[in-house]
Amino acid sequence: MGAFAAVLRKDLRLEIRSGQSTIALFALSLLIMVVLVFALNPQPIDRARDAAAALWVALVFGGMLGATRSMIAENENGCMRALTLSPIDPAALYGAKLAAAFAFMAIVEIAAVGLITLFFNLDFGADLARLAPSLMFGTLGFAALATLLAAISSRTRAGDLLLPILAIPLFIPAIIAGVKASEAALSGFPLAAASQWLGILAAFDVLFITLGALLFEHVIRED
Amino acid sequence: MEHFDYLFAAYSIIFVVIFAYVAFIWRRQARLETELHAMEERLQNLKPVSPSPGVKSAVEN
Amino acid sequence: MKNKIGTALGLMTLGLMLVSLFMVFEWVPTEADQGIVQRIFYFHVPCAWVAFAAFGIVAIAGVFYLWLKDQIWDDLGYAAAEIGMVFCTLVLVTGSLWAKPIWGTWWTWDSRLTTTFILWLLYGGYLMLRAMADDTEEVARFGAVIGIAAALDVPVVILSVRLWRTIHPAVLITRSGEHGLEDPRMVITLLVALAAFTALFGWLLRLRFQQLRTRTRLTILRREVALIEAAVGDY
Repeated sequence: MGAFAAVLRKDLRLEIRSGQSTIALFALSLLIMVVLVFALNPQPIDRARDAAAALWVALVFGGMLGATRSMIAENENGCMRALTLSPIDPAALYGAKLAAAFAFMAIVEIAAVGLITLFFNLDFGADLARLAPSLMFGTLGFAALATLLAAISSRTRAGDLLLPILAIPLFIPAIIAGVKASEAALSGFPLAAASQWLGILAAFDVLFITLGALLFEHVIRED
Repeated sequence: MEHFDYLFAAYSIIFVVIFAYVAFIWRRQARLETELHAMEERLQNLKPVSPSPGVKSAVEN
Repeated sequence: MKNKIGTALGLMTLGLMLVSLFMVFEWVPTEADQGIVQRIFYFHVPCAWVAFAAFGIVAIAGVFYLWLKDQIWDDLGYAAAEIGMVFCTLVLVTGSLWAKPIWGTWWTWDSRLTTTFILWLLYGGYLMLRAMADDTEEVARFGAVIGIAAALDVPVVILSVRLWRTIHPAVLITRSGEHGLEDPRMVITLLVALAAFTALFGWLLRLRFQQLRTRTRLTILRREVALIEAAVGDY
């Protein structure tokens, strides 16, 4: 537990100190949404669907960039190597990185929710609150996936291109379920209506967090 | 025999692709075997030139 | 490639393929609604079977590689992934050629095609990874991880896509000719075709796998030669 907390604290502190990447990530999410507004030209009748779509596109692409950057930073200053050589349990290391990634993505997500409320003329209220489960599960799942995959992609040529190529196909079931659940929430349906989708999201999270914890050691090992 | 073209196209593509893949393997194999023989020869030529006693030979098995 | 198992597999493949083709084009009756185009089905389905089976092998090989650390498992996984990709592509192409005359569109997001397409993307990612990383032990490990992750993802994909399509069906016409195999001759033809493609898969896999083994041997030899030459050069 000590190792987990230590690494987590390190990652969080690093990010808070530099601060730039979270802001940049937020700026990026904002711009992604702007593109979608002009691309979709949302009509009031479709607003739940379009808002859900915009949210998840921002989640996926914003999250991707965040993950690559943090991994590259760690590889660059040799930090990853040091962590690998230390006796830290790889699963704990994975957990810490996952938690940090999730924290950043969550912050950006919350800001993104504020944005879509404005851009797509949603109401602040119960609908937004009902978004929480799908967004939380989705962000968690994506963070789990990205933490594992970024460790791989950052060690290959054109790693920043490889990450989306690997991550997006794997994430598709979560996108399908997540957008549907988010759309249901924003359309005013009770959470129970989206239970199947949320179930898929939860299963996805369990699967990839477990997989990440088990396989992370094989990815960071250097021999 | 309506839509025969689609049927014909589908089966043709299947066979063309499979043959192309087999051809790909075949060509690779020729190259690999040449290089393999060359390497094995080099190894044979190097063997009589045994390294100094202090150096453990990687080939001694 | 001149040994007995390979030849046996090859002959079996050839034989089954010829029988299959005869059955598809001469023996099996034409399906009532779709006409002769429906015959694409008899080779389309086996391609899908091979694609999914190959995928399973990639994952299992990945597990064994991470567990036993023997390069032979990586060679097997890579061979299976390549072949799986070939057949996955064939599923999509033949599916498209079947869809156009029947449904009037080259592509549709029905649950089977969508799932196969996602499988294709997963394979593509695996192969891109192998292409972009240099051939080291590292890429074998990475490949194993991706192969395992992808295989475990597939059930979730199937589930989510099926749910997605039952709530919003993309195609109004149901895919007839798959569960509605009225004539027993159709079932037999399909089974023979499946056998033919299984033999083909085995033959191709063995071919490519042995080639990769040769390549691995070559890499080891190269290293040995370099080692000796360096030692000799130190005089």
